Amino acid sequence: MTRSLLQLRISVEYARKRVLNDVSLEVAEGEILGLVGRSGEGKSTIALSILGLLALKGGRCEGEILYRDWDLLKLHPREMRRLRGKDIGLVPQSPLAALNPNVRLGSQLKEAWRAHERGEPDWKPLLESVSLPAEESFLRQYPRNLSVGLAQRFLIAMAVLHNPSLLIADEATSALDTITQAEILGLFRRLNQSRGIAILYISHDLASVASLCHRVAILHQGEIVECNSVDEVFLNPQHPYTKQLIDAIPQLPTVGASAMESGLARR
Amino acid sequence: MRLLLFTFATALLGGELRFALHQEPKTTDPLLMADESAEAIGYLTDGVLIRINRLTQRPEADLAMSWKVAKDGTKITFQLRQGVKFPDGSAFTAEDVVKTFHRLLDPTLHSPIADTFKTEKGSVKVSAQGPFAVVAEFPAPTASIESIFDQVAIGSGLGPFLVAERKSGVSIVLKKNPSYWKKPLPLVDTIRIDIEQNRDIELVRFRRGEIHLIDKLTPDLYERLAQDAPGTAVDAGPTLDSEFLWFNQAKRAPIPEPTKEWFRSTAFRHAISQAIQRADLCRVVYRGHATPAAGPVAPSNKLWFKEGMAPEAFDPAAAARLLAGDGFRLEKGVLRDRSGNAVEFSIITNAGNKTRERMAVMIQEDLTKLGIKINIVTLDFPSLLERMTRTLNYEACLLGLTNVNPDPSELMNVLLSSASNHPWNPSQKTPETAWEAEIDRLMLAQAATADHRARKKSFDRVQEILREQEPVVYLLHPNALSAVSKQVTGVKPTAFFPRTFWDAEHLSTTPKPAGGG
Amino acid sequence: MIRALAIGFLIAVLLAALLPARYEKQFRDSPNAGPSRQFPLGTDDLGRDRLSRLIYGTRVSLLLATAAALLSCAVAAALGGIAGLGIADTVIVGAADLFLSLPWLFLLLMVRACLPLNVSPMVSVTITFLLLGALGWAAPARVVRAAVRKLSVSDFMLQARATGCPQWRLLWRHLMPNAMPILLAQLWITIPAYVLAESTLGMLGLGVMEPLPSWGNLLRELEGGGIAGHPWLLAPVLLLAAVVGSFQAVVEREDYSV
Repeated sequence: MTRSLLQLRISVEYARKRVLNDVSLEVAEGEILGLVGRSGEGKSTIALSILGLLALKGGRCEGEILYRDWDLLKLHPREMRRLRGKDIGLVPQSPLAALNPNVRLGSQLKEAWRAHERGEPDWKPLLESVSLPAEESFLRQYPRNLSVGLAQRFLIAMAVLHNPSLLIADEATSALDTITQAEILGLFRRLNQSRGIAILYISHDLASVASLCHRVAILHQGEIVECNSVDEVFLNPQHPYTKQLIDAIPQLPTVGASAMESGLARR
Repeated sequence: MRLLLFTFATALLGGELRFALHQEPKTTDPLLMADESAEAIGYLTDGVLIRINRLTQRPEADLAMSWKVAKDGTKITFQLRQGVKFPDGSAFTAEDVVKTFHRLLDPTLHSPIADTFKTEKGSVKVSAQGPFAVVAEFPAPTASIESIFDQVAIGSGLGPFLVAERKSGVSIVLKKNPSYWKKPLPLVDTIRIDIEQNRDIELVRFRRGEIHLIDKLTPDLYERLAQDAPGTAVDAGPTLDSEFLWFNQAKRAPIPEPTKEWFRSTAFRHAISQAIQRADLCRVVYRGHATPAAGPVAPSNKLWFKEGMAPEAFDPAAAARLLAGDGFRLEKGVLRDRSGNAVEFSIITNAGNKTRERMAVMIQEDLTKLGIKINIVTLDFPSLLERMTRTLNYEACLLGLTNVNPDPSELMNVLLSSASNHPWNPSQKTPETAWEAEIDRLMLAQAATADHRARKKSFDRVQEILREQEPVVYLLHPNALSAVSKQVTGVKPTAFFPRTFWDAEHLSTTPKPAGGG
Repeated sequence: MIRALAIGFLIAVLLAALLPARYEKQFRDSPNAGPSRQFPLGTDDLGRDRLSRLIYGTRVSLLLATAAALLSCAVAAALGGIAGLGIADTVIVGAADLFLSLPWLFLLLMVRACLPLNVSPMVSVTITFLLLGALGWAAPARVVRAAVRKLSVSDFMLQARATGCPQWRLLWRHLMPNAMPILLAQLWITIPAYVLAESTLGMLGLGVMEPLPSWGNLLRELEGGGIAGHPWLLAPVLLLAAVVGSFQAVVEREDYSV
């Protein structure tokens, strides 16, 4: 196993209500870790805690988040800001809502660049690397003209702009249709392989996790109930909750009659 | 006699008379009434000993069948009408009159009407002489003694109408008093009085036939009505009211010294007066429904107007000469006083009175031609009053005075230098100028005698002094403008309050003709 | 195209407003006259040329009401923005509520009592609009605060933070473009409101004093009705509507819709 990039052990409270209880996670350099749990289990809370943005939602985080040599919880807000976007990128859940509706794409990209660098780079390689049209006319558009898939690619482009070491994908594929989802998963895999970016892939969808991640952690009722390699978890689940999750994965229909069931399960 | 027969015929129809008042009456106590709305209700519901006929200006018998004034004007004896009953059936007697005056003169009541019956030497003594005779004895001879009894309501329930319903801020409904002595009057069964502050809406409702009378119309509304509905707008001729401008001459006024200096100069005041085009004010602002004023007394007040007094003629050249003679000089279109101060002052007037605002603008332009700069400031009435009577923080003021009674004593509270309403220098302990002292003396002298010729002589002199000194620049006397619906029969508009319903018991209404409007 | 027309119109109005006009001259022989060659919009009840008064009144109202509305909206943007971000929120909201509930009539009367009577009409009108501008921030500030509150918890603001955007750039580049249409909408309703408020204040001895014309006192002439058969009296209403509409057309930008 390679060197550890992120190592955290935290508890989180919202208005005296504990949502995360002594949760430990570790992401190695170049690794894709899946974090799985049902909606509302506190997966996004972990993402916000790492980015130091939990206070915006009124949460309080205790423990330690070690990133390389720093404890992020003890870092000065200024230092933390410099880390965000530059070293740790975020790919959000709802791509269209995450883009500023009244700012052109080009300006948003530029803003993200200017947050850490001066001047203006050539956007072409970046846009091409996420399979986006690299034309000027594209950058002059407003987000409302984009499809969800294009928007998500654009957000990924923004997230990898400064070549971060860690990408947090918070339900990044949940809002997408199956085909687009597959494309984006492919994109993540490519970024991981070509640039060595580590990914914390947060999802409630075990199937996508199985296809992308190296290891997977299962979050249940504020605690990590199981954390192991993908193969191990899927073939030999230890915790009853994990079993439940795996059972819920829709199977491809083998007989006509179960087609409906699978369709329902997917929704 | 024919008129009487006619009214008998319509009396059977009953009907409702409707009009509006601009404000809620502030009191229901007939002895405490000080506002016009309360007075209007009182006029319709209360009986008095003597009623001044608004049309003839003569005193007429009301609850007193006859009266007799002693030669020297210190005593008046009333013979009361017999058989008059209150609504509860009890008879009206001399005792009721005595009780009313006893209450009126009670100092704890603070009745504004009581002042008329008090002098320095004491107050009126009213006593009964048998069940139907009353004697009022005054401590000093009193001029036009009968007319002051028009204001005193005797008991309540003796007038032509009774208050039937009162909705605060909305309406007051009066119903016919079944025990009214002037049988079979009144002709209408009810009078509905709405409270309506907005005069434009009042006019709209009049046009729709919702109300029958408008007692006071502004000149612009009058013109509009006269155009749209000819025959309903009535100009009842000149009133005794006046509109005027005066300069603050009070020593303690917190205004610049040079300004006070100008205002104390008789030449300056004359010059201003001569530079104002009174005829234009009457013609443009009042659309011809006003008469230029020569003084406080309107020419229509034939008994007391000083013969031969003419309004100051418009003569800017003479005004300029007067100013030059007083050390003022015109430099590049700006008038400067002896010390070089540019002549500029403000005129305050009450906000919301469009007629007055318009007059002020015209005066402003007239005086510009003398090189005088005028700033017009409109103030809400309480602020205006505060400045006029208490802080004295103003320079010149444009206002009007409503006069109901043609008698000179009516002007006492304005002309006496000790009066708090003495416009240009109120509440003086002793008169500051010789001419004010002279006015005080003459006004008191005319009030202290019943001899008409002596009174006339004194009051003529007062009018002359006011003209010589011009502390107040009298501008014009407005006409009485009213509106009378064709649905009402018998209305004889006058120039005196209440203009249209002073004989409400004689008025009758016909239903609105179908399709009319 | 519409934008170009609107700009042209506004420039024309501005230029016309700067033309010399004898707005105070009384032609006393022709009061309340209808339109004629000498008086294209007729005369008022003192025989003053309505067109001259409208032109000069435009100068007074357009410049001052706009300036006052800008002042109000600037204060509203600053205070509402700060409060919306959660800084001194309770203090600012409290102040706004207080401002909205104050008995303004009474306070303005006190202001009038403190001012000297002998001020020239132009000074009086400037003071009035300054007052309006300085006191009118509360209502727009509440709107701005609500908008900023909503915006600051939006997904795109979170995302911008996640890209490491510094605080001031966050406000300037991400919040502002989204709060702007709301603020502009406030501006568009504030300008005509102030034009009318000025005429009401005239009743208290504040505002535009005679003989100075303003849109407010020109509009007040319509109060008593009498428009029937005198359609030219509507000229100030149309001008006000056209000017505010043009402002909207000129400043409205595609990228301001939220």
